Amino acid sequence: MTTPSHDEITARIAELLGVAPSRVRPEVVLSELVSDSYRLVEMAIELQDDYDVIFSQADLSSVTTVGDLADLIRTRAP
Amino acid sequence: MLLSDDELWALSYYRTSEINGSLFFGRLARTLRPSPIQHDLTKHFADEAQHAWYWTDCLDRLGARPIKMSDAYQDQYLEAAGLPVNLMEIMAITLVFERRVINQYARHLAVPNVRPEVKETIERIMEDERWHVQWVRDALTGMEDRFGKDTIADTLRRYKEADREVYAHTLAEHEARLGFLLDSGPHPAEERP
Repeated sequence: MTTPSHDEITARIAELLGVAPSRVRPEVVLSELVSDSYRLVEMAIELQDDYDVIFSQADLSSVTTVGDLADLIRTRAP
Repeated sequence: MLLSDDELWALSYYRTSEINGSLFFGRLARTLRPSPIQHDLTKHFADEAQHAWYWTDCLDRLGARPIKMSDAYQDQYLEAAGLPVNLMEIMAITLVFERRVINQYARHLAVPNVRPEVKETIERIMEDERWHVQWVRDALTGMEDRFGKDTIADTLRRYKEADREVYAHTLAEHEARLGFLLDSGPHPAEERP
């Protein structure tokens, strides 16, 4: 599997959260995209499935923005 | 004999908790890709919805209507333990929670002169709950290669601590209403590691 690009990951995040791709910019705080925190859990599970990665509590404690999450996936992707 | 306010509150609490469990697992069943876990989780979700119906029907047969409650045990649970971040953590929190449910229902069954309608409802639910514990435990075992046995054990430990904290808090908060359950004493299964 090739390392996914930032654009590919942000497009997938937009799709999973059901928000306009234009809103999913690297500096945007993830919790501002949806009001339901459980939706973020569902998104995290789907992303792990999509990119064959595992997130831990420690990983996600340092993730605040869309860009942070994309970086995490890119560094973990096989 | 009419239900006491405390009994009505407890049965309504169970009903709300089953509804929340169903909604939680329903969303997850919708999220997961086809797999044995998705299969069992979908059954689990359907069981929880059925349990909510059993309590609704039980209350109806006892001539009562459920109290509308805004939140349930699970809400405090996620607050204390933090949101799970992967499927293994969801399975771990589910295992700890299901054991708590079994213990709580066992406590209720131990109440002297428990109403036949309540006894029948709990016994019906307990049959499913035993399977819930079994399939989730098996799913966690199947995840050992991917997540690591030690990581799974650490996660279970973390959620057990949160569970004890939330249960103690719930009992303290609703001591007056749940006093009739406290008198029945802890169930032996509660000591299970």
